[in-house]
Amino acid sequence: MVTADELIAFRDGEPDAVRAVYREFGGLVFAVSLRTLGSRDLAEEATQRTFVKAWKAAGGFDPVRELGPWLATIARRTAIDIYRRESRRPATRLDDVSPADPTVVEMPVGVERSYEVAAVRAAIDTLPPDEREVVRLQHLEELTHTEVAERLGVPVGTVKSRSHRAHRRLASMLGHLREDSG
Amino acid sequence: MTTDDERVAYLAGEDGSDLDDPSRADLDDLRDLLGDSSTWATPGPGLEDAVVAAIAAERAAAPASRRPAPAPTAGPPGATPIDLASRRRRIPHLARNLVTAAAAVAVLAVGGFVLATRNSDDGVTSLSLEATDLAPDADGRAELRRTDSGWRIEIDASGLPRRDGGEFYEAWLKSGDGPDAVLVPIGTFNEGGDVVLWAGVSPVDFPILTVTQESADGDQGSSGQVVLRATIDLEQ
Repeated sequence: MVTADELIAFRDGEPDAVRAVYREFGGLVFAVSLRTLGSRDLAEEATQRTFVKAWKAAGGFDPVRELGPWLATIARRTAIDIYRRESRRPATRLDDVSPADPTVVEMPVGVERSYEVAAVRAAIDTLPPDEREVVRLQHLEELTHTEVAERLGVPVGTVKSRSHRAHRRLASMLGHLREDSG
Repeated sequence: MTTDDERVAYLAGEDGSDLDDPSRADLDDLRDLLGDSSTWATPGPGLEDAVVAAIAAERAAAPASRRPAPAPTAGPPGATPIDLASRRRRIPHLARNLVTAAAAVAVLAVGGFVLATRNSDDGVTSLSLEATDLAPDADGRAELRRTDSGWRIEIDASGLPRRDGGEFYEAWLKSGDGPDAVLVPIGTFNEGGDVVLWAGVSPVDFPILTVTQESADGDQGSSGQVVLRATIDLEQ
């Protein structure tokens, strides 16, 4: 959790505070950038630019607001800017261009759900590491409870209880996504 | 009616046959997001140092009024500025240039410039523009003339690559190099040849002329990426 003092120090560009903010929100910013741009290289550039922009704008940030959504908004905007820049990049041969390349797509395909990715990333980042890993293995690697247990070397019952706790937390934290979409 | 327990169970991967259709659709959406690789993506290990170095460089290069403390002359303690050139082309464009800008500013702060300013009889003041490390091949001259409308400043620079597509150059008059220095923008352009700028402040009070690299990123302040600079010494 970034403290008010760290936020002030971040605004002042203190390296330790920059690191603290990055360590808490770097993953979220990168996730939004990657979702929008679809390229790790461009997403890293977007992440770096996002933190520089956030530092520049931090003087006007209201500490009462949550930092994560604010950074996600900057990240999304920054990623769109980079996408548009890439759209202007001259291509060589059409055969060499991926169908998802920004030069042949009008808008980034991932931008529509980038805020939802940010919300989900923020939620999973609050989970204890053991629960987070179970959720990751279940959803990203599509492993069953038994396979997760084998991977982690813990009883299946432990996996089930971690999974249930984690998903209950996620359902609680992400309930607004269902409401928004409904 | 779907209960919270049923929702949690389905989200956790159990059978959802008891769920009503709207609930299942919502939860499938959420499961899609949980299974999206970008949701779990982790940036490369060097990015933290690159972010710290980029902000340190921006901080060093920013107008003094933006800096709450004396600017560092090197990277942050424990963080080596990352030159990502070996990894890709674009990040160095940002990170390396910013680090270079910081170095250039540090040099400027220590060394300053001694430039020839020539005030002609016809009221035109000519001066040389000095390139920084960001544009070592750049060169140019500026002519200043006072008019009733303001100060007409004409720049003719070479060795600056064209910037467009949302990127451009911006010229500034600056009140000094001290901590309370004020920057006044005097115009933007794409190429350095035959550029006419107008200033509503006097170079007597704002005696430093700079040209920076900028992007249309919503930030109205200077990027601090100075490519040309001159000190104006007007005869009173």
